[in-house]
Parts: sequence; structure tokens; C-alpha cells
Amino acid sequence: MSSALEAVVDPQLVDQWIGQIGKDPSATVPLLQAIQSQYGYLPRKAMDLIVQNTEITGRQLYGVATFYAQFRLKPVGRHLIKICHGTACHVTGADRINTALNHSLNIHDPEQDTAENGSYTLMNVACVGCCSQAPLMVIGSEVFGNINGAQAQKALRKHARAAEEVLPKPEKQTQAS
Amino acid sequence: MNMKALEIIVGEGTCGIAAGAPEVIATFKAEAPEALVRGVSCLGMCHQEVLVEINSPKGTYKYAKVTKKEVPRILEFLKGSGEQVTENLLLAPNEPESSDHQYLTLQTRIALRNVGQLDPTRIEDYEARDGYKAIAKVVSQMTPEQVRQEVTNSGVRGRGGAGFPTGVKWGFAANQKSEVKYLICNGDEGDPGAFMDRSLLEGDPHNIIEGMLIAAYGIGATTGYAYIRAEYPLAVKNFGLAIKAAKAKGYLGKNLFGTNFSFEIKVKEGAGAFVCGEETALMASIEGERGMPRRKPPFPAVAGLWGKPTIINNVETLSNLAWIINKGGAAYAAYGTADSKGTKVFALAGTIKRGGLVEVPMGTTIRDVIYKIGGGSSSGRPIKAVQLGGPSGGCIPESLFDTPIEYAAINATGAIMGSGGMIVMDSKTCMVDLARFFLDFTKVESCGKCTFCRIGTIRIREILERICDGKGKMEDLDRLEVLSRQVIESSLCMLGGTAPNPVVTTLKYFRDEYEAHIKEHRCPGATCKSLITHKILKDGCTGCTLCEKSCPTDAITGEPKVAGSYEINMDKCINCSMCVEVCKPACILVE
Repeated sequence: MSSALEAVVDPQLVDQWIGQIGKDPSATVPLLQAIQSQYGYLPRKAMDLIVQNTEITGRQLYGVATFYAQFRLKPVGRHLIKICHGTACHVTGADRINTALNHSLNIHDPEQDTAENGSYTLMNVACVGCCSQAPLMVIGSEVFGNINGAQAQKALRKHARAAEEVLPKPEKQTQAS
Repeated sequence: MNMKALEIIVGEGTCGIAAGAPEVIATFKAEAPEALVRGVSCLGMCHQEVLVEINSPKGTYKYAKVTKKEVPRILEFLKGSGEQVTENLLLAPNEPESSDHQYLTLQTRIALRNVGQLDPTRIEDYEARDGYKAIAKVVSQMTPEQVRQEVTNSGVRGRGGAGFPTGVKWGFAANQKSEVKYLICNGDEGDPGAFMDRSLLEGDPHNIIEGMLIAAYGIGATTGYAYIRAEYPLAVKNFGLAIKAAKAKGYLGKNLFGTNFSFEIKVKEGAGAFVCGEETALMASIEGERGMPRRKPPFPAVAGLWGKPTIINNVETLSNLAWIINKGGAAYAAYGTADSKGTKVFALAGTIKRGGLVEVPMGTTIRDVIYKIGGGSSSGRPIKAVQLGGPSGGCIPESLFDTPIEYAAINATGAIMGSGGMIVMDSKTCMVDLARFFLDFTKVESCGKCTFCRIGTIRIREILERICDGKGKMEDLDRLEVLSRQVIESSLCMLGGTAPNPVVTTLKYFRDEYEAHIKEHRCPGATCKSLITHKILKDGCTGCTLCEKSCPTDAITGEPKVAGSYEINMDKCINCSMCVEVCKPACILVE
């Protein structure tokens, strides 16, 4: 992942959150949520500031950050695509949305979730609770329901045009995976 | 017709928005500026979104699957200058009810009574439907004991899945002597495939607040927490707005209704952990810890959040309380069976014609829910099983569809009622793959505290993976049974205690599918990638090139526009089935 996506943390902002939310351990989850909603992930610098300026210890903070599925420690692309993998989506073909979008974004390494140019990050989520529209994905806050792989690719292309993002020219996979 | 006389109501829940409701609303407003256009919460008729109800002097019309394209035609008809838009029509005055509309009329809606009927952001809408009358009655005319007795009389049991009698549970906390007691609303709906709590929180938030008030009065709590999944942004938003409105109107805060009863509610957003649906894990999460369950006893009713007596009630349980107080416990108990009283909401999805939220009296058979209300299979293929209760539940085969929906009868099948996720599966679903899917989920969601849950779920999943790959042995089936029993018996909380259920039930009812994978290297559901092949049928192929374009590995080649010329190179094919989805003449065979 390119370090270009690393966020620049504003210490004043972190101070402001601590002031609003609190310093005791019960503030741990809301503080992490505030950081993540600002930066899309949990930058190291922001985590350090929390530990320095609250009663929350590094053990507690990292323990909680690594426990919950919502939090990520890696930088995120400029746009996030959530692919729902609830039961209804699984039985109606959520996997094919992954195959299709991985192909469109030229992502082949299982460890990689963000396109090389930092445009889009793919994230599998447990359930969006929209099971009657299965299978579905969410780009930003827009939900696309009842889609197959080809329709997911089309929605991505449309989004990329509107957001002025360049999609990589897909290299075809050479071997079965 | 005068457009001013029209009231146009558009379903705008998460499903409606996903299907394009904002666009439809904007088009109605632009095309009929004089009409009253309102967005309401989701009616739970998700398969028909975007759903539009129009009240006109001629009567009520309902249209389904409306896009902005149909809007002008619908308005033309109402003006009297155009034809009825029959393909979208669901209900019209003086016409027999369509079978699609029976989806609603066959239901008995108590928990969902307001969903889709009101604008959740307007407290006046809720007040107009007897809102906050129950809590006013409770505070001014009833003692906490009487409230608990009324709820006990109703027979309502915890709708989060455990099914413990709610009134009895409250009694444990009420008997504790403590200045501080907590009431928690459990809206951490982590079961993939269940969305009734989302719909209630975003569609009728004041009903949940009133339910929390009633419960708080019944146990003597002064502070409440609403723990809501962060994945439900609209629910978090609408519930937050509702709290503000309730405070402003004097339904939340100090000395309510001129008495010494005070109650406030704080919202805690969950951060994505299935195990936090478990009571002690949920409390750990509110306290700011990793959401790991602890040993019971002491039960939360005795020593819960920050060591104080705490009652945790599920969203759906709370949504019944105001109705029970207004109509009486006996009226609620009149529905259902001896074992299970009242109604239950199910989230019907999968390969079903009419999916969405379904509320039926306990005792209704699974078959009636799937065929009468749900309309049967959506794929044309026969329905093979229904998955009930999510990752903690099990698969019930078609042969047992006459089982009545009540706690004891469902448990006897090996599945559980759970929170009410009901996923319908047709003959194209592989039951081994489904078991693997659920173990994938529980393996990740296990908090890691108990060895058998932490490691056992990984080992079970490995065996299932092996079978799906066609590398399983018959001994594996015995090993699965032994391991499942060990995980169930050696886990502290019900995550581990139920995690093997999907394996146990599919082995019990669909053992032949496991054996086909192992002995014949064949996947009867045509799902497992290692055991299937894709083939283009020469007779059907029109040479349209769509399959070639969709293929991520360049495995498909042929002459454009030459019928029957396309072929799949098996060395390159990864069996992803993307070509099958785009093939218009459906001539790609998977077996």
C-alpha cells in the first residue's frame, strides 16, 4: 500500500474529541469511532495522542481497536466499497461481486484490498440488513441492490466517472485461483 | 383531479433508498408540486420497493417497484387523462386484492404496527397513533409490580433469541436494592440475514423509546442505553432525532408526567462484533473493553453494567410493550400457542418471491410463511430448506415445513428461533458450502476466550473446506459430529454453544450432500468451485459476446455474432460463474 494514503493527523482535532467524549475507559470505542470517521482508519499518530492525553492505556486502546470489525489500522482508499456478505447475499452470489470488482480494480493479492492508485478500497461486511435486495454493495453511502458481477462493474465505472477517478486497465489473470 | 387533494407516501427505509426512493420522491415533487409528498419508514415489503401509496378522493392506490420513469404515467392516470399503470399496481379501490398485496393482509402486526405508517422523524405522527399513552398510563395509574404482572400475563418472551419470559426477567432486577439500575436496549443485530431491529429502530423509534420507558419503570432504572449497530446509519440517526424530540416534549428527562420517575437514554454505537449480542459482552463493550463474555452468575440483573443491576431487552421485545400496556397482557396472550404467546417478526429473504418483514402469530407453520405470505420460490426451482436463526441456528428441510413456529417445536428440529432471520434456499444451494459460510463467520467472530470455540471453529471449518474441495473422507463426518459436540459443551457463552448448529443440522438432514462431495466428488447444489465445470451449450449460444466480455480470465473465446461458436477453455476457467449471470439465452451449463 502506498504511504501516500497516510493521513496527516491534526492534534487539535484529537484534543477536541477527547474534550467532547471523555477521558475514561468508557470513551474508548467512541474515540476510536471519531478518529476513524475523520480519517477512514486509525492513524498511529492519533492513537498515540489518545494514550498520552487520556486515562486509556495503549493495551486497552489497541485491544479494543483490534477486537472490533469496524476498525482498521491500514489506510483506506479515497472511496470505500462495502460488499455485503450476509447469508442472503452469500446464497445469491456476493462472491461474484468480489471477483468482478477485484478484476476491475486489478486486485489479485488476497492481502491487498485497495487499488494501486489509492482510488477504491474493497471491504467485505457481515450484513447491511437489506437482505431483500441481495446481493448488494455500498459505494460511499449509496446502496446498489440486486446486482450481478457485471452490474457491479458498471456501477463502479459510473461512480468513477462522477468522482473523476481513474480505474486501472485490468490485466487478465493468467492462472486459476 | 386537483393535485392538491393527493397525498403521496413513499417508503424511504434503507431498502427503499437502495431501490431509488429519493429519486422517486424528487420526481413526484417536481411533477406534482401541489401534492403532499411524504417519505415514510419502510413497510417491510422490501421486494416491492420503491413502494408508493397514494391517497386520492377516489380511494387508495398502491404501486410497487416504482422508478422515476413511471411517475408521470401514474400522475396522468390520477388526473384522469391516462391509462392505469397496471404493471406496477398493487392495490386499487373497488378491485379484488392482488396476491402480492396479501403479503401484508395475511400478517398480524403488533411489533411492526407503525412501521411504514408514519414519518419516523415526526413525533406528532407517533402521538397520533396512541403514542406515549401507555407510559402516561403506567406512570400515573400503575405500580411497578402491576407493570411487571401485565407483561408477565402477556407471556412475551425475549425476542433476541433466548426466549426468556420478559416479566420474570424484570423481577430479578426489580428485587435488587440499588440506587442505580440500568436498562439496555439491545440493537446489536449481528445475525447476518436479520433486519427487523433495523427496521424498527429506523421506522418507529418512538415505540422503542416508549418500550424502554415502560421497562425502566417496571424495574426502577433511571438510565438507559441503546446499543445500536454502527452498520445501521439511518437507525442511529432516526433514533437520535427521536430522543431529542421526546426530551423536548417531556417524555424523557427528570420528573416525568409530574411524578418522581426520571429516565434518560444514551446511544452507544456498536463497532461490529457479533459476540456483543451476548449480554455480558455487550456490557463490556459499553464499559469500553473488548466485548468478551464473562461467566454467569452473577447475572446482569444482579450485577451488570458497572456492577449495577441491569436488564437487557431486545428491540423487538421492547416494541411490543406499549401495545401490551394499552390493550392488556391478555390480548397479547390471545395470539400464539401454549408454549409461545403473541407474534414474532421474521426477516424473510433468499430465493423467495416476496421477501421482507413478516409478523405472524406464534404457531403459524413455516410452510404458511414461505408459501402463503412469501409466495414460494423466486427462482422457479423448488425450495429445499430454510435457514432459521442465522449462525446460531440451523437448516430445516422442506419435509419439516409443517412445523409450527414456537420455541419448543423449532428447537426440536435442531434449529433455533433466534432473532428471526429466515433465509429460503432452493435446490441450487449447496448445504456443505452453507455450513462452511456460517463457520467462516463464527470462526472470525469468536472472541477467543474459550479454547474449544476459538480453535474448534477453525478445525470444523477446515474439515468443511476440505469436503467442499472434494478432498474429504468419510471419517471426516464422524469427526465433525464429535468436534461439534465438544465445542457446544465447552464454550462459556452461546456463540460457541450454538456455533456448530449449522453443521449439525445440515449433517442431520442433508447427509447425502456431504457424501456426494466425498464419494462422488460432486456438488449437488452446483456451487463448490472445485467440483463444478462450466460449459456453453452450442444450441443456445447466439454469439452475443457478453460472456466473453464478462470473463475475468479470458477463458471464453469465439466468433462474434456466430451462433454456437463460443467455448470455455477449462485450463483458464476459475468457475466464478460471472458468465452465467450475463448469458441472456441461459445456455451456460453448470454441473
